[in-house]
Amino acid sequence: MGQSGSGKSTLMNILGCMDRQFSGTYELDGISIAQQSENQLSAIRNQKIGFVFQAFQLIPRTSALKNVEIPMIYAGMKADARKVKAAALLEKVGLGQRIHHMPNELSGGQKQRVAIARALANDPAIILADEPTGNLDTKASYEIMEFFTNLNKEGATVIVVTHEEEIAAYTDRIIRFQDGQIVSDKKVVKGSC
Amino acid sequence: MLIFENIRLALSSIRANKMRSFLTMLGMIIGISSVIAIVSLGDTMRSVVANEYKNVGLGLAYMYINPPDDTYGDNTYFTTADAEKLKEAMGDDLAYVGFNQSLRKDMTVGRRTKTLYVTGLAENPTAMKNLKIIYGRMLSDKDFQEKRHHIVLQKETAEGFFGDANAVGKTVKVKLNEDQEEFLVVGVYENQDSALMKALQGGSMEFAYIPESLLVSEDSYNWSLYFVAADANQLDALKSRVTGYIARMKNLDQQYIIMSSASEEMGMIDSMLGSLSAVVGAIAAISLVVGGIGIMNIMLVSVTERTREIGIRKALGARTKDILTQFLIEAAMISAAGGLIGTFLGISVVALGGMLFGITTVVKLQVIVIAVAFSAMVGLGFGLYPARKAAKADPVIALRYE
Repeated sequence: MGQSGSGKSTLMNILGCMDRQFSGTYELDGISIAQQSENQLSAIRNQKIGFVFQAFQLIPRTSALKNVEIPMIYAGMKADARKVKAAALLEKVGLGQRIHHMPNELSGGQKQRVAIARALANDPAIILADEPTGNLDTKASYEIMEFFTNLNKEGATVIVVTHEEEIAAYTDRIIRFQDGQIVSDKKVVKGSC
Repeated sequence: MLIFENIRLALSSIRANKMRSFLTMLGMIIGISSVIAIVSLGDTMRSVVANEYKNVGLGLAYMYINPPDDTYGDNTYFTTADAEKLKEAMGDDLAYVGFNQSLRKDMTVGRRTKTLYVTGLAENPTAMKNLKIIYGRMLSDKDFQEKRHHIVLQKETAEGFFGDANAVGKTVKVKLNEDQEEFLVVGVYENQDSALMKALQGGSMEFAYIPESLLVSEDSYNWSLYFVAADANQLDALKSRVTGYIARMKNLDQQYIIMSSASEEMGMIDSMLGSLSAVVGAIAAISLVVGGIGIMNIMLVSVTERTREIGIRKALGARTKDILTQFLIEAAMISAAGGLIGTFLGISVVALGGMLFGITTVVKLQVIVIAVAFSAMVGLGFGLYPARKAAKADPVIALRYE
């Protein structure tokens, strides 16, 4: 966590394999990211990483179901299998009744849950959430964080970028940024707050 | 990514911006329909001309003398005696010899006078003019030989003077020279020229036919001489025989006898119409390029508008190729849809024009195939630049785009 401009998002872009223009090395599953082609990075993002953004980033005029299907389309999954899995994922995030809703028909919390379902589409090992609660009210924020906690218990690595202490409190490890530098890296003992 | 998925995406994007998509298509619609209409109009004209010459007969030829140093004299014109001699010399190979004179003359019945064209026909008149006689008969050889005052009228002329197409047995007065001469109507024919041909000839011209011996006197000098081969396939051989014969008769070198035939004329008109429609078609094809630029323009707008969508797709694993095909297919679909509508419109315009002029129109399949293929190529060609621009977008920047 850290203040705005502290370098959190830059790190997110590097971790998310969207930015190769960095010094140093980044290895993901033993693959050196800086040396991958753009298409190889696309495949890595598609298979290994699930993104959740502050602004939800759902595709407009496209139903919740279709939005969740997108990563599977690029993974080359068959249409029938895609639909079944997308519906199951939406069910999992508690939107089983709203799979055919358009993004503009959903509340902020619901949109973010669609985005989480989409992030889970190809069963990625890592969930990268960039200020996932930044546009949500407190109640929705807590719900989303509860969900991330559960995903983490199921075995996924969840990386959350935030500037809010309450949100950071849900995690097991907090890395603090200031002016592009890591200033602290602490394991949190659960149940203390 | 699957082609089907891209087509679905393109359709939903086109549907989301109906008006814009339609206006973009309009360029292609106008381009394709005008190319098809113009090229088909040219093809139709060519077929009309070919039909017209089929009526005239492809055995028809004519000649005139173009003397050395333009020294015109007695031996550079044709007389009726020349025609007779030529006929005897060529025998059965020659079906018809005449001067093909058509003169504007006044025709009077009672108090009514009308100016029309009076054409002379010599012996074996059907070889020269195959009229569709609806009442009475065609002029005969005897009419010609005995200089009978017989006339064949056009149906419209007969109706105009007598209120009835069947004017056989009636008399009309024609002012051939100074005085009015009385003619007996022996036949009435129906003009079979197409509406287009009539329009080309200057509207409602009416023709009446009389024996040529009454129209061309023995002492007149005539500029040109017409003849028809008994067998159209033997026309070339006959032409050279006639040239040789006339050259000897007129004591001139063969090069001064200028020959021309209906088939040559037809070939000339045909190639002229062909190149004319090709040129105009090419000009119309420029509008296709303009339509293509319209597609490029709107695709650029679409790419800019959807920068964020592109960023999201890239973050979710879309490769450069996936984004490229998505936008390329969208551009191709807009232009193909425009091409199809344009084809339909172009054919409709041609068919409507054909109905209006009462002619059978010619729309060649290859013209449609070329036009549609060209429109799809224009779509792909002009869609390529915007699609590449979309595909190359940096996801980090694209996601932040507002």
